[in-house]
Amino acid sequence: MAVKNKKENNNVILSIKNASYRYSDADKDEYALKNISFDFECGKIYAIRGKSGSGKTTLLSLISGLEKCTEGEITFDGKSLKNMNLDKYRNSDIGIVFQSYNLLPFMTASENIILSMDANGLKIKNKKAKAIELMAKVGLKEVYANRKVLRLSGGEQQRVAIARSLSYNPKMIIADEPTGNLDKQTESEILEIFKTLAHDENKCVIIVTHSPNVCEKVDTVYDLKSVKK
Amino acid sequence: MFILKNAWISIKRNKGRNILIGIIILIIACFCTITLAIKNTANYLINSYKNAYEKEVTISFNRENMMKNFNPSDESSREDAKEKFDSIESFTVQDIKSFADSDYVKSYYYTYSLGLNGNNIEKAEIETDNDMPDFGGRGRKENSTTDFTLTGYSSKEAMSEFISGTYTMSEIADNAWDIAFDGNYAFINSELADYNDLKLNDKIKLEDEDGNTYELEIIGIFKENEDEGSEQLSMFSNSANTIITNADVVSDIASKNEDLKANINPTFIIDSYDNVDKLQTEFYDKGLDENYVLKTNEEEATSGVSSIQNINSFATTFLVITLIIGGVVLLVLNMINIRERKYEIGVLRTIGISKIKLTMQFVFELVIVSLVALMIGAGAGALSSKGVSNALLANEINSTNAKTEEVDKNFGGMSDHGMKDQMHGRGMPVVQAYDSIDAVVDIKVLLELLGIGLSLVLVSSIASMVSIQRFSPLTILKERS
Repeated sequence: MAVKNKKENNNVILSIKNASYRYSDADKDEYALKNISFDFECGKIYAIRGKSGSGKTTLLSLISGLEKCTEGEITFDGKSLKNMNLDKYRNSDIGIVFQSYNLLPFMTASENIILSMDANGLKIKNKKAKAIELMAKVGLKEVYANRKVLRLSGGEQQRVAIARSLSYNPKMIIADEPTGNLDKQTESEILEIFKTLAHDENKCVIIVTHSPNVCEKVDTVYDLKSVKK
Repeated sequence: MFILKNAWISIKRNKGRNILIGIIILIIACFCTITLAIKNTANYLINSYKNAYEKEVTISFNRENMMKNFNPSDESSREDAKEKFDSIESFTVQDIKSFADSDYVKSYYYTYSLGLNGNNIEKAEIETDNDMPDFGGRGRKENSTTDFTLTGYSSKEAMSEFISGTYTMSEIADNAWDIAFDGNYAFINSELADYNDLKLNDKIKLEDEDGNTYELEIIGIFKENEDEGSEQLSMFSNSANTIITNADVVSDIASKNEDLKANINPTFIIDSYDNVDKLQTEFYDKGLDENYVLKTNEEEATSGVSSIQNINSFATTFLVITLIIGGVVLLVLNMINIRERKYEIGVLRTIGISKIKLTMQFVFELVIVSLVALMIGAGAGALSSKGVSNALLANEINSTNAKTEEVDKNFGGMSDHGMKDQMHGRGMPVVQAYDSIDAVVDIKVLLELLGIGLSLVLVSSIASMVSIQRFSPLTILKERS
């Protein structure tokens, strides 16, 4: 496990302590992840790097509360995820951005963002105006608001996905290969957005990636090694 | 609220599938409305019939009880049985009035009969050849010690032979029914009239064995309708020597001569068949011999509606089959729907929409489509069911009217004097009061339909409920990627 720019900080928002994960149908000693311990702080951008099969996506699903670790513990803001309402956690505390965007194709860009606000229960008068404001923040013009997402390019869809993840102002953004489908130029622009969110808005941004370019631009890189099977 | 909004967006987005689901629910709703309406009408008719059939109780011998220890090959047993039979006390008009004085009895009537000889009339009779077998019967050569049977009815309700059509009035005095129960009047058989050359308003004299004479004025002449299948072995019908009068006349005659053996047959109208056992106990307490038992006309009343009950059963079966087939089709459609929308479920779960809210969204979608389809289906079903149900009702009305007219004819066509009202108690249904039912699809049917519709929605939503619980959002999204 290689750690770059590691330093002590009490600003920890997410802490993983000896987390292990084993699929329910796996053999007794067959782990997808074993004894992982990482801390993540607000105001920083992290990269989790690893080869295929190293458990990057499994770690992401544990952090995002889509799965629960079979051993060890993950705490968010001092509270164990095991004791939290994980739906509430996902629609309030964290924002998730996927490599394949995972937007609803039958909705417009703004509708996708508003849906996320609705899931959060956000009570503001003009949700569409807020959606347009978020789109502007990630570099999308207002004209895209009423477009079905399938009519947008990959980079534009990823920006909509980031805007969606920001719609309820979460403390942490988790991104799974967010630039995997994008060209270099767009990748840089997206990374800039993440850096701004971390450094200017004090959010914790965790990027799961195997891109060296991304790893170079983040504050901290955690390496995941394949678990021996 | 956003769940409802999402449900509405999904309905608009999946127009084709929702129209298909809507059409299926519409067909189910239409069939359900028709069958529920038919059941409603059938139940209405059944109740009409049951209400029309007065609940009657008669007193009969308990033969089973009497013959319990009887051994026909044993002389002493035969003597015991005879002694037992002779010791059974008959009951009187006073007893009947006492029995009728009960909370369970609404009204009563009775027939009273005894045997008398003719004074100025002769018994209708022909001597048979020696070779001819003796088949018995009052009109034939018989062993009876008297010439005539005088039968007195307490009211028109008691005149069961006229109601059933066994007797039909062929001639009747204008005011006959006004005076029939108030004086010494009689109806005689047309054969007896012909035999003795009697006509309306003639007076006949009967006498008992002590020579006391009783005069009756003829106010009606009836004929007996032989069953088509019965063999004509005599010139005269069974009732040729039966003279009909009112019960008071017979009671007066019986009271004047204690040697005359009179038979009395009461019928009690009760509120409910459920009270028969209590009524029987009450009768025993009032002195009825325990060798008598009470019998009801419940079987007769029920058999009259068997065809409608069959329609009711058919409608129930049809309803169940419709619901099963409809439910399965909807379930399959929903399973396909869920498979097609797995990605959407994955995304919505990932952004933090709970399983419960997501399930609610899918159920709401189905409920909205179902409600619209149910309303249209109920309307279409109501239009169709009205025709079907009224055709059913019209059939019943026709047969009832035919039956009423027949009874009127039996009484000599005097139905203008409230005959129909009086005959309600003798199996005349009241359905003829209606020539159509407007409220076939009433609030009850609509509520039943709504219940069925919502149950179907819930059953067919099981697919989405189970799938949403089982799906792992990450797996779904990975499959998509």
